[in-house]
Amino acid sequence: MMNAVPLALYAAAFVAYAWHFGRRNPVIGRTATTLLIAAALSHTFVIGMQTMEAGHVPVGGATSAISTFVWLLAVAYLYTELTTDERAMGVFILPLLVALQTIPAITPGAEEHAAVLQGPLFGVHVSSLLFAYASFALACVIGITYVLLFKEIKAKHLGFFYARLPSLQVLDRMNQRAIVIGWVFLTVGMLVGAVWALQARGGYAAGDPRVQAMSLQDPKIFVALVCWFVYSFELFAARRIGWGGRRAAYLSALGFAIVLLNLVPISYFLTKSHNF
Amino acid sequence: MELLLVGISHRTAPVELRERVDFHTRGVGEALRSVAERGSTREAVVVSTCNRAELYAACDDAATTGADLIAFLSEFHGVRATDLAPHVYDIRGLDAARHLFRVAGGLDSLVVGEPQILGQVKEAHTAATNAQTAGPVLNRLFHSSFAVGKRVRTETGLGSGAVSVSYAAAALAKKIFGDLRGRSVAVVGAGEMGKLTALHMKSHGVHTVTIVSRTMAHAARTAEAIGAASAAPWEELDTVLGGADIVITATGAASPILTKARVEALMRPRRNRPLFIIDIAVPRDVEPAAGEIEQLFLYNIDDLQATVRENLARRSTEVARAEAIVTEEVDRFAAWLRSRSAIPTVVALRQRFEAIRRAELERLEFKLSTLPPDARTRVDEITHLIVEKLLLTPTEQLKSLGEADTVEIYAEALTRLFELTEPEPARGTSEPPGGKLEPFTRNRSRLPR
Repeated sequence: MMNAVPLALYAAAFVAYAWHFGRRNPVIGRTATTLLIAAALSHTFVIGMQTMEAGHVPVGGATSAISTFVWLLAVAYLYTELTTDERAMGVFILPLLVALQTIPAITPGAEEHAAVLQGPLFGVHVSSLLFAYASFALACVIGITYVLLFKEIKAKHLGFFYARLPSLQVLDRMNQRAIVIGWVFLTVGMLVGAVWALQARGGYAAGDPRVQAMSLQDPKIFVALVCWFVYSFELFAARRIGWGGRRAAYLSALGFAIVLLNLVPISYFLTKSHNF
Repeated sequence: MELLLVGISHRTAPVELRERVDFHTRGVGEALRSVAERGSTREAVVVSTCNRAELYAACDDAATTGADLIAFLSEFHGVRATDLAPHVYDIRGLDAARHLFRVAGGLDSLVVGEPQILGQVKEAHTAATNAQTAGPVLNRLFHSSFAVGKRVRTETGLGSGAVSVSYAAAALAKKIFGDLRGRSVAVVGAGEMGKLTALHMKSHGVHTVTIVSRTMAHAARTAEAIGAASAAPWEELDTVLGGADIVITATGAASPILTKARVEALMRPRRNRPLFIIDIAVPRDVEPAAGEIEQLFLYNIDDLQATVRENLARRSTEVARAEAIVTEEVDRFAAWLRSRSAIPTVVALRQRFEAIRRAELERLEFKLSTLPPDARTRVDEITHLIVEKLLLTPTEQLKSLGEADTVEIYAEALTRLFELTEPEPARGTSEPPGGKLEPFTRNRSRLPR
């Protein structure tokens, strides 16, 4: 239930970001950032409390993983906003934060931490992947804004987004950077996960049915691999065949749609290997 | 103390005269020193831009100072008084404040809402601060004008959107490429419009400008006019276009030079690098169908003019909001001036009360002399406190009076009731002597058109 406080603050920040996007009043903009910082801080506190309670960072279950993902995305977004001084993206990121944070906020109680989930490799696996997903979320949002601006300029109708968004070049570069960072963490996270699964299967957790189900046939692992191929293709296409700009933006959106699929419905309903 | 403005601007004087009355040729600092030496002003600030030369002054008598400053303008710049006279405006009191606020807000600019002017007004004030010619009144006036400029920029859309075709083209280029530094511009055709647009891009820091024209001599001449630009022969058109990020086409050709197929061929080796083509030729130089190519942004003169019209329409609706801000700040400044205009009366009143207190203490000296020293000190303190308390409310009331006329009436009443005389030049205040109350002149002066 503690997760409701950050949720309320994220929702308030979303209202402020939307208001700022419409009115472009710097005072409202600063208010929006302040609210988001407050939300991230309260979220840090919640995660910190859960860590102390459980003795480890709460990433073992799908719900707590989502909460941690929201926190990471908020921090990553705040970092880009403060370094680029570009607030226009907030109105696109915040709805995602609010929607995802609703899940931990309405889920009662803490999850049982499965005994098999242990060792330093497990921590690296989860945190790398969550970080990768946060990067992909940013890339997706940046891609969407790129397409919105691109369409306005192409259609010679310079209006709402033209006045509010940074240049196409800047958006394209931000998108590329987010994809590269995300791809690196995705690769590391998956490799480490594979190594951990092999060790666990051969050792202390050999009897656990979930560990046994860890193979390419499992939907969660399979979809993660699909994701990896989509982003690898995007990186390759941007460098080799000139698929930057709008096509890269569409690929970012597609990739993140798959990530979301993997993060929420597959985690809760389909996977046999990752239902902790 | 009166406020006075003497000057010329693009509204009243042709560019030939503005060039001759440009303070930057001899330096604003020197001008300020010369004004100060003439002794007709208490405070002075010179605002000098390519569109205006204005002298703001605080003085005791606006009529004589006005004439003196006009004489100064003609002497300092070596312009005959008769040449200058028909173009000079002489604005007094709050109208001068309103004028400055409109200037700082970009409302009086040639291109309404242009952003440079606020910086220029700030520079003008800094120069006057350095030359020590700005005093309390002009400091307050200029700081208020900065507030106007800032509020107009943040609270209205007056400065947003390009209002000329070449500016609109540069703004678009920035929205596509971000920073224009390091970008290459190719100009096809050696006409005037192409040159103008290229010059504008150059002012935004583009890396190279290359002119391609059917006649090499024309290309070379235009390149020279732009400065730090190169010319290329017609045969190299495709090579030049291949290396360019922004292409401006402005030839007099009767049929399109760049067909869709030709542009497609150009785009292929560029891969993902966007190309921005500005077609300002009539008839058009680029086949409109080329605009369908991914990563190619094609704008013709009509498209640009449409965005300019939109921006101008948006700006004109913002003017009213900006004027409202100006009026608000003028009122605020007026209130400050009024509170200042009450100061001589306040000083006189205090001196009167203090004189009475001292006289009474002296009259009772023979009785007080029997008291021990610390008791005498107490008597002195207590009487002083009583006087202070008695004066506190009237002083505050006087300073917060709403109307200039009311200040005058109250001052008159106080002067009669307490038989006030002119206050002695007070120590520690920069107030001018003069018991008569002269808040500020309300002369309505005309602004010549």
